[in-house]
Amino acid sequence: MIRRNISNEAGARSDGLMIVSLMFIAAFTYIALTTNPVYTGIGVGDRVPALEGQVYDGTTWTDFNLEDHIDPLWSEGDGGTWFMIEFMDTNCGYCQQQAAEEIPNEQAKWLGNNPPRSTPENVSVEFLAVSISLWDEDTDGKSYGRDVIQDFRDNNGHNFPYMDMQDNSHQDAWGGFGTPTYFLVAPNGIIEYVNLDADRGYTVWDAMDEKIPRGE
Amino acid sequence: MVAGLECFDPNLLPHLAVFALGVAMFTPLGESLALPAFRSKWPSLETKLGRTFGGLLLICFSGFTVSAHTLWMHNKSQEMGGGSFCSAGTVCDCASVIGNNDWNTMPFVGLPWGLLGMLAFAMFMWLIISMAKEPTASWVLNNLKLGTNFGILGIGVILYLMYAEYEIGKICQFCTVAHIAHISATVGFFKLSNMYGSSDWNVAGNTKAVDVAAKERRKRGGYVAPKQTSEEE
Repeated sequence: MIRRNISNEAGARSDGLMIVSLMFIAAFTYIALTTNPVYTGIGVGDRVPALEGQVYDGTTWTDFNLEDHIDPLWSEGDGGTWFMIEFMDTNCGYCQQQAAEEIPNEQAKWLGNNPPRSTPENVSVEFLAVSISLWDEDTDGKSYGRDVIQDFRDNNGHNFPYMDMQDNSHQDAWGGFGTPTYFLVAPNGIIEYVNLDADRGYTVWDAMDEKIPRGE
Repeated sequence: MVAGLECFDPNLLPHLAVFALGVAMFTPLGESLALPAFRSKWPSLETKLGRTFGGLLLICFSGFTVSAHTLWMHNKSQEMGGGSFCSAGTVCDCASVIGNNDWNTMPFVGLPWGLLGMLAFAMFMWLIISMAKEPTASWVLNNLKLGTNFGILGIGVILYLMYAEYEIGKICQFCTVAHIAHISATVGFFKLSNMYGSSDWNVAGNTKAVDVAAKERRKRGGYVAPKQTSEEE
């Protein structure tokens, strides 16, 4: 015969647990319904992590802080600057190939006065290359330093800034990844594309074409 | 402005009110605060033990609500465009502390501190409610030990968070209320531990008389083992 099992001691604990769980659920529901946080990270939809350092613009090295170019209150339809950020290594073969073949075509399409790819008047596009180190400075055949970055930029005929991040100090906020890694950042600092998450064959250039509004 | 005044935020009032009521329950004032209406609903408020449980529960509840409030602020600070969610001054500025991405989450785990506060106070409340419902249970001493030890552990976390405030150079009023609630809860657990086993833990009126023979009979499904002659004598 099955009998009801009564235990006041267990009942007290489960009653307490239910009361506390109810409070927890109520608090969480309220927080979930009234807030909409966007967390910092390197995935699509995340807020772009901090990126600060010295950039070479073709003549001098100057300070650059990505945050200064971000407008958190931006919404679709507003003007602003879209950033294509490439993390690259001057010694990486694929980065060298991209720098020599693909990027010159794309910079001609997007940068400069009256680029062929039109954008609304108040929308601009910037490229930023961030030079990181995949190898140790002492590794045979691999050379690092600001002179190397300058030569790399000039030899490939690039006209956008290069950031010196060869101490890999970005890794605290951005984490570790290979090169080249491309990010497309909207004017509000939200990552719209990263090749780490993207479908095969869908490049940053495709994403730019799709997401950046066209002019008339 | 005087630092004390600039640190006052009207949004703190509900938390402070519950906290003050909880602390008052520990004092002789608590006896008069436990109004007849409350006493008829919760007869345990007649006793010192009942008032201590009630006070401790209120303190932990204020800690829980203020922790939930800091979690809400944390999420607000992560919204696009941020927003102002608490009063700020030169000394006290919770936005600078809760919105500081270097310090506003637990190291290694990455969860907001407010969530840890909610979990800690929820656990305290669970321990207290269980003990208040069944003060003579076999696990009461374990609950007291757990509460006291977690309270001491939490003080270490509070010291770390105070160091964070020192590094940031601002004081978060809401976090401070949560810290004070935690310390008060720890003191409350010590007080309960002292009461345990003493005449203050007298809950004779609350315990139900248990008919041992009937209990034994139920346990055996109605069968009562015959006693030996020597046992009967």
